[in-house]
Amino acid sequence: MKRVLAISSGGGHWTEMRRLMPVFEGLDVTFASVRPDDAADVPGHRYYAFSDFSRFNKRGALRSAMQIIGIVRKVKPEVVISTGSAPTLFALASARLLFGARTIWIDSIANVDRLSTSGRLARFVADDWLTQWEHLASPKGPRWLGAVL
Amino acid sequence: MIFITVGSMLPFNRLIETMDAWAARHPQQAVFAQIGDGSYEPRHMDYARMVPGPEFRARIAAAALIVAHAGIGSVFSALEFGKPIVLVPRYADAREHTTDHQLHTANWLRTRPGIVVAERGDDMDAKMEQARHLQADESGFSSAAPAPFIAAVRQLILT
Repeated sequence: MKRVLAISSGGGHWTEMRRLMPVFEGLDVTFASVRPDDAADVPGHRYYAFSDFSRFNKRGALRSAMQIIGIVRKVKPEVVISTGSAPTLFALASARLLFGARTIWIDSIANVDRLSTSGRLARFVADDWLTQWEHLASPKGPRWLGAVL
Repeated sequence: MIFITVGSMLPFNRLIETMDAWAARHPQQAVFAQIGDGSYEPRHMDYARMVPGPEFRARIAAAALIVAHAGIGSVFSALEFGKPIVLVPRYADAREHTTDHQLHTANWLRTRPGIVVAERGDDMDAKMEQARHLQADESGFSSAAPAPFIAAVRQLILT
């Protein structure tokens, strides 16, 4: 059974992850997001919370990174899947480095006109680099396989 | 009941101030707002800073109309419960968000049944009146992504 870490920021990113729940059926999946309450959304699964940061609050980045790397070391995932945003790049990068994990980035469906900044960075740490908009896909990536809507 | 939400990340005083003024003009309407970290505290409607997930969904389920920032979490919540929603996009130039992606989200969704978009400068009374007559036709809306996408992502994990 594949050991999977499914990680996202809060708000819409977490909503998009919840819409992917059937993906994880029968897998050994651990979830991580920013609100401790959100453990209630994934009953029967391990859930870890980490603190978020944004461009308006860059100082949180180091703390967030340390927490996320801590989660990755605990879970030892074989696969990491993220629906964004920026903090979860630390999970993809560290899981790849520490455990040779396969990493999947699904850029948010909210990014209709262009990939997010973190979405563009994800190409360097994601084995599978996905957009949810066909018109944003290109031969050099990101790829389009569908969307959560 | 009208349920207003700014989402979980950034404050959105413009939405809360606009809707507080609207609530003052419509005292017969029950209004509840989730205001996040905003500095503006409503005087004409009930509010909470944060609402835990299960209570959030209960409030959506009980609401006749949702008024929200144009965030994906709010949009999907309204669609999943078949509720009409007024989307108020955040603008980056007003530091309401880091980019203008909410404007793009609103543009993509504006033709969908049950969705009204209120941009900066629009008359909120008119938008609310328009939304009041809406029926969200999303009774078959699933809480999960379409099956082909689920299968494709699962394939990535299993290989």
